[in-house]
Amino acid sequence: MKNVLLEMKNITKEFPGVKALDNVSLIIEKGTVHALMGENGAGKSTLMKCLFGIYAKDGGAIILDGKEVNFKNSKDALENGVAMVHQELNQALKRTVSDNIWLGRYPTYFKTIVNEKKMYNDTKQIFDSLNIKINPKTIMSSLPVSQRQMVEIAKAVSYNSKIIVFDEPTSSLNDTEVKHLFEIINRLKEKGCGIIYISHKMEEILEISDYVTVMRDGMHIATHKASDMNIDKIIKLMVGRELTARFPEKTNKPEDVILKVEELSSTHNLLNNISFVLKKGEILGIAGLAGSGRTELLENIFGLSERKSGKIFLHGKELKIKNTNDSVKAGLALVTEERRANGIFAILDILSNATISNLSKYIKFNLFLEKRKMKSDTDNVIKSMRVKTPSQSTQIRTLSGGNQQKVIFGRWMLTEPEILMLDEPTRGIDVGAKYEIYQLIIEMAQNGKSIIMVSSEMPELLGICDRIIVMSGGTIAGEVNPATTNQEEIMSLASKYV
Amino acid sequence: MKKIITGILSIMLLLNLAGCGNGKSGGAHVFYYTYSDTYISNVRAKLGDSFNKMDISYHDYDSNGNQTTQTEQVQTAITKGAKALVVNVVNTGSDDAASGIITQATKADIPVIFFNREVSDKVVNSYKNCVFVGTDAKEAGHMQGEMIGEYLLNNYDKTDLNGDGKISYILFKGEEGNNEAIYRTQFAVEDANNILVNAGKPELEFYDISNPNKYLVDKNGQWSAAAANEYMSTALTSFNDANNNMIELVICNNDGMAEGAITALSSVGYNTGSKKMIPVFGVDATDAAVELIKNNRMTGTIKQDANLMAETIAVITSNALNGKDLLDNIDKTYIDKGVAKVRIPYSKYLGQ
Amino acid sequence: MDNNQNVSNANKRFKVNKNTIIEFLIDNSLYIFIIAAIIAIQIISPMFLSIPSIINIISLSAANLPLALGIAGCIILTGTDLSAGRIVGVVACVSASLLQSTGYANKMFPDLNTMSVYTVFIIALAIGGIVGLINGFCTAKFHLHPFIVTLSTQLIVYGFLLMYLMIGNNNGQSISGLDSSFTNLITGSILSIGETAIPNFVWFSIIITALMWFIWNKTKFGKNMFAVGSNPDAANVSGVNVTRTIIYVFTLAGILYGVTGFIEAARIGSNSAATGLNYELDAIAACVIGGVSFVGGIGKIRGVIIGVVLLRIIFVGLTFLGIDANMQYVIKGLIILIACAIDMRKYLVKK
Repeated sequence: MKNVLLEMKNITKEFPGVKALDNVSLIIEKGTVHALMGENGAGKSTLMKCLFGIYAKDGGAIILDGKEVNFKNSKDALENGVAMVHQELNQALKRTVSDNIWLGRYPTYFKTIVNEKKMYNDTKQIFDSLNIKINPKTIMSSLPVSQRQMVEIAKAVSYNSKIIVFDEPTSSLNDTEVKHLFEIINRLKEKGCGIIYISHKMEEILEISDYVTVMRDGMHIATHKASDMNIDKIIKLMVGRELTARFPEKTNKPEDVILKVEELSSTHNLLNNISFVLKKGEILGIAGLAGSGRTELLENIFGLSERKSGKIFLHGKELKIKNTNDSVKAGLALVTEERRANGIFAILDILSNATISNLSKYIKFNLFLEKRKMKSDTDNVIKSMRVKTPSQSTQIRTLSGGNQQKVIFGRWMLTEPEILMLDEPTRGIDVGAKYEIYQLIIEMAQNGKSIIMVSSEMPELLGICDRIIVMSGGTIAGEVNPATTNQEEIMSLASKYV
Repeated sequence: MKKIITGILSIMLLLNLAGCGNGKSGGAHVFYYTYSDTYISNVRAKLGDSFNKMDISYHDYDSNGNQTTQTEQVQTAITKGAKALVVNVVNTGSDDAASGIITQATKADIPVIFFNREVSDKVVNSYKNCVFVGTDAKEAGHMQGEMIGEYLLNNYDKTDLNGDGKISYILFKGEEGNNEAIYRTQFAVEDANNILVNAGKPELEFYDISNPNKYLVDKNGQWSAAAANEYMSTALTSFNDANNNMIELVICNNDGMAEGAITALSSVGYNTGSKKMIPVFGVDATDAAVELIKNNRMTGTIKQDANLMAETIAVITSNALNGKDLLDNIDKTYIDKGVAKVRIPYSKYLGQ
Repeated sequence: MDNNQNVSNANKRFKVNKNTIIEFLIDNSLYIFIIAAIIAIQIISPMFLSIPSIINIISLSAANLPLALGIAGCIILTGTDLSAGRIVGVVACVSASLLQSTGYANKMFPDLNTMSVYTVFIIALAIGGIVGLINGFCTAKFHLHPFIVTLSTQLIVYGFLLMYLMIGNNNGQSISGLDSSFTNLITGSILSIGETAIPNFVWFSIIITALMWFIWNKTKFGKNMFAVGSNPDAANVSGVNVTRTIIYVFTLAGILYGVTGFIEAARIGSNSAATGLNYELDAIAACVIGGVSFVGGIGKIRGVIIGVVLLRIIFVGLTFLGIDANMQYVIKGLIILIACAIDMRKYLVKK
């Protein structure tokens, strides 16, 4: 065990009434990737917050390089070689790349004047060593998320970090970008860094990690070599029971065509000449790389962006939509990708979040809202969507990602849409909750709703869709049947027009 | 740390309140339209002195240029037990504000003394315990016009710098929609013209023929030196000796604006105390203006006698508090016919 | 087929070009507007671009520039500063009262010998700096929005100003009769172009602007200010002392108001409670016209200068044209609205 970099020994953390961490131990060796897995609430992030000093641990010890450490905050940890690449990147977007990397410790003359040249050269050097191709003088906000993440990694490297924690690093990356990320992680391994890798994506974890530690209910369940594991084993450890299937049984039956899109092109983005049909009670998957126009397609149909040409028919009648309000009236609904940015109203309660798109139904005498009806509808949402919440008046931000997503589904179900468009409905949601979301989607289709679902996770498209359209470069590259296709075929279609 | 600071701040606030609050509830309550007006501040200081001399307790309010604030202050003062209201009303455009105050005072049977900013005869006559102490708004304008006309007759050729036989002037107005500003702006020019025309001279000519208003107004309505200064220095860039069209006369609604104009003039070498001087006229005879006139940098001003104004108000207040007739001991020649309005006379001031 | 495609491609390219031209015109419409306005005013009133007039515009701008630069820092932190005008007022009155000439009859402190101009300058900076420090401290430590903090300090400062004007011999009178050492330093001139003297405060303003450019672009503090404005959480996580940065920005702003007040005292020559009133509104307008965005983290010294000068050109130009004062409000309001709408386009992603 000479190679031990970081040891977290018997960490315990209690919150009033809950034991969030119960004697959890974790050992990270030099030059390895250690995956940390568990459902949301299993204690992964609490453990990391104890490591970074955001929470004070109640018991146990953290030993870095043979010395016991107690970081005061993430800055302290960073300076001692422990860095974190957050799931939600926290950056000064209006500043340049190199400004962001050296923020808080600019190289200076006389401690006041910034040495821009050294800053540029140092940045360049780190980028070269990681094979990152970004101009250090670019303004952050003009970079895509994947590159901003690279910058964050470079920042960690610039601190000479020995331990780097990745929190859901691939949640907004496409496959090529993931490949590049893994390449960088492998370089970090070669340098002797220890990596803690938190993710819900099993396939990725098996590919990149050397060790897998599974946590459940604040306890350490098991640590194994990744080569000894497979998806089923991990899931079994995570949920503590056998999940017989990752996907629920499909019970919906597609009927007649309800929506027809003909030669749709957009004014301001890449959508070009898109035609497809959607049947009643059908779950239609849309696959493709990030940037292939999947989200843009949903937004365009929903009336969020300008249409250059093309027609959309609902029930054979042409649909003329000026704005999103028209879309809702016509029976369309859109569950957006960025739940936090444009899905939930974080500080409002469940009731407001569930009824916000449907307020016109509760107006009495053109004047006031009928609270009783809103309450009973919210109760229905909580029941039918199986939302786990203490009450209707709980702020939605306090719920887990899965439960937030269920409330949003419920919101749109209240508007009784005919067509429900879902953009990455399971992003950032843990395995157990994902299964429930799949169940809900299939149930909705079974009840005669038509679903269009965009996802970057091919297994889930293959698992629950009736048909899959593959997009590439803003247009449709092909259509596949989930029963007969495989991931390779979808991938090759997705890269057709790249 | 934060708690300590918050604590200290709260204690400071309490001490502050305790220090400032005076328990006096009766006596005279005086409402000034704004503390930022220099002339009114002068009256305030003098009135305070007079009240102290006569041993009258008083309480001052700053209405900060807002009629709503003032009306609410008056209400509060009445509930507090005021024995006399001395009001420098904010809104002079209509009777509503003043008669609102009269209505409240009538109910509580408290005498009201309006001063400085004029209220209508109707308002004063509507309540037996009401008087107005002020000046004749038109008088200042007439007097300034007369002063300018007379000065020009005596110094015409000296003033007519380019020798074209005409005097070009610039005029700074203090505020739009204020009666005093309107009268001063109108009569200063009209009366000067009358005198000039009677003596066979041409009328004054506004320096910039493209400006139909024939005046430049402080857009913030503050009668401020800064506004006059910026207008003046801008005007001087195209109207100057080099172009042979120098502005030959500066007329200001008050002395503050005159000071601003003089500062601008002195930056191009005029009105620095030497012979090179453009005549500048103001109103108010503030200490600063008196000093400028003494130093030969300003020509004349109209004296609004703050001292006499304050003494008159103090006498009337004393009458009110002692249950005498309000106008006891007031010089009868100052009082208007048929209405209880006391006019403090203006006087010309051209230096000792 | 091929031919057709070529034609449509060519069309596309042409269309793109046309769009870029329109984009370019819209993005630079402010500059185009300034140039057009200058040309129009010049045609109607040929004295507008004479040397005296240009120097007048420059000196009017220079008087307001330090104030605008101070407020710009606060705006970059997604804040604002409503106390600026009143700080200018109090500094101007205090400076003037300490620098009245000894023989002046209505001297506020008759027994006080005229102080050294430089001592008073330091006092002016100190007064501005202290109020700025209080603004920054309350904003940073109590996590209050600067709008609320400066709304409060503005009232407090005004109260003290009114009290100050009543002490000594003054009785609320305006403060004038300044010593020549003071007026010579500020409004005197060491350089003239033709007949027209350039007042010295223009040079002070230029030096301060250069200094501010250096602070904003070259120093650690400047970079930290932009980072905090752009994303305070990210700055905090990266070890930037956010509290201290905010306090420094407001203190620096206060010091700049002190400079403005000191200059204003001598420039106008008559200082009363109304001095400085609403100056902050013009300065905020100048900043947003010049692209200092309320979004936070965005702004350039160049922009502030352009904003200040543009507002001055409007003032002088409309005076030259003899346009009704009431109309000036309308025009100023429209320019602020349009400038900000154009600016905002840059941050909107078209869909």
